[in-house]
Amino acid sequence: MTGVTLELQSVTRRFGPVTAVDKTDLAIEQGEFFALLGPSGSGKTTLLRIIAGLERPDEGRVLIGGREVTDLPPYARNVGMVFQNFLLFPHKTVAENIVFPLRMQRASRAHRDEQLKWALSLLRLDGLGGRYPNELSGGQQQRVALARGLIARPALLLLDEPLANLDRELRSEMEVEIRRYQKELGIPFIYVTHNQEEALTMSDRIAVMRNGRFEQIGAKTEIYTNPASAFVATFVGHANRISGGIADIQGDLARIEWGGGSVLAPRPGSAQRGSAISVFVKHEDMAIHGAGLNGKRPEGVNQLAGTLRDIIFKGQTANYIVALPTGDDLVVSGTPRAGVARPNDAVIVSWPIEAGACFPREDA
Amino acid sequence: MRAGPATLSMSAALGLLYVFLYGPIGYVIYTSFAVDIVWPFPPSFTLQAYVDLFSSSLYSEALTNSLTLATGAAVISTLLAAAGAIGILRFRSRYRTAALLIFIAPLFVADLLIGISVLAFNARVLGLPGNLFSAMAANAIQGTAFGFLIILAQLVRYNWDMDDAAMVFGAKPLRCFFEITLPTIWPSLFGAFLISFILAFNNLEISFYTLGAIPTLPSVAWGSLRFGLGAELFALAALVNGFVFLVFAVMYLLMRLGIVRFGYRGG
Repeated sequence: MTGVTLELQSVTRRFGPVTAVDKTDLAIEQGEFFALLGPSGSGKTTLLRIIAGLERPDEGRVLIGGREVTDLPPYARNVGMVFQNFLLFPHKTVAENIVFPLRMQRASRAHRDEQLKWALSLLRLDGLGGRYPNELSGGQQQRVALARGLIARPALLLLDEPLANLDRELRSEMEVEIRRYQKELGIPFIYVTHNQEEALTMSDRIAVMRNGRFEQIGAKTEIYTNPASAFVATFVGHANRISGGIADIQGDLARIEWGGGSVLAPRPGSAQRGSAISVFVKHEDMAIHGAGLNGKRPEGVNQLAGTLRDIIFKGQTANYIVALPTGDDLVVSGTPRAGVARPNDAVIVSWPIEAGACFPREDA
Repeated sequence: MRAGPATLSMSAALGLLYVFLYGPIGYVIYTSFAVDIVWPFPPSFTLQAYVDLFSSSLYSEALTNSLTLATGAAVISTLLAAAGAIGILRFRSRYRTAALLIFIAPLFVADLLIGISVLAFNARVLGLPGNLFSAMAANAIQGTAFGFLIILAQLVRYNWDMDDAAMVFGAKPLRCFFEITLPTIWPSLFGAFLISFILAFNNLEISFYTLGAIPTLPSVAWGSLRFGLGAELFALAALVNGFVFLVFAVMYLLMRLGIVRFGYRGG
């Protein structure tokens, strides 16, 4: 295949009784920003270490640029890596750190100097070449780590939670920058994170990982709007969950009976009448109205009545917490317009039927 | 700020402790310059003891032997201790604690026992004669244990992920060690070398049994003691102590000036 930079074929890695990575297949295209998203312990870092050669798979094959590298050590793979705690060499200056990969490749002095200049200016590190890592701020260390990862123009760059140790403001700044470097250089980036916002902001495609397996791989909008499992629905974005049983099936729709009434949702593939089910609706897919709307029920929309309990103001948006008669809370995210409702007002929450993602109940 | 009675009594206690530790050594150094070594008061000084010391060919041969022995033992100790410490930290095993204890156990064996054991083992089992090399090996037993502790103390703070990073960027394991690990941990290797050097240099019992008739400074000093305290012995003791003191002073200065840093420097 052309354009495929990295290919994993049925890669498995076990640690004693734990299967960290379980028969995983993956193909990363040239020029793609790919995020591996999952909670800690889901196997994403192990998978990254297998790609880097720091961990050997028990089964399966790893191909980089069409060449099998499964049994090659890390130093023979031509990948770059950015580590969570940067791992800059403390006894080397910034410049020495950055050119380290080129020195290991025995690049000529002239080539090294030229690349160093390029990397320093790309990452806005001009004038810092002579400093030691402990004399830099967190953001500068991060950029040195990126420069070191990129200077040898690797076949792909692996990033292991590189922003986890930075403060919030710096993080969002670096998210944009890292994506810009990736688009400029056209090198595929594989980005491991447990932070869904990072994954959504930066990547083109996302794989959501859990217990060593991919729950879903797809374009980030696909993952966000069309989750393939209950886990993805809860892990990506913020969703309300309504759990109940299927009371009736009407064509493509299922009517779900649940303590507080009944709602309609797209029918999940194999669900039968009576099976336990959860509907996930993203906070921002729900809308809140004053109680005056009661009585009108537009086609294709679910409505539930409740009481506004609180408004969490977040700036660009506000979260409206609505208490339902059943005792459950729904969170509705909307623009913080004043005057929609006040706490303790009776309100109506509505959402389009197709916004509900419906999966068999896991926790039953 | 005025010193209170508590501070004063603590300072006095500290002073007494130092006298307790270094009084005898100070006395020997003082006496080595005295005209009358039996009762060196009131003070009257001469360098005669040092002249006698340097004119004796026995002492210069013994010094050469001691330096050779100490260097050899220190090299062996440092290499074994470094390999042991790295091995114990890098490769996790159920038997890690046991392996660690076995490394430091020689510290609790009397020098005399090590000497006799090595003598018996070398002569009976291996059929080896006593010489400088077997003395180096025997002295390295305790040197390795001490060096192991020193290196381990620094190495526990070393981040082995550094090696992972270096390998991803193209460094083979050996290159990785010399580029990344060694520049970070060399002060502890240096410390292990110095300690095992001084231990072997000063050792009498182990060397005595493994060297046979070959003289070292401690064995010559011991031998001449049988003919009464000579002034040149005081001079020898003063010089050896001066040398050890110098080594420690240099180490201290290197650390103060930040040329040698213990511990991990980094972000």
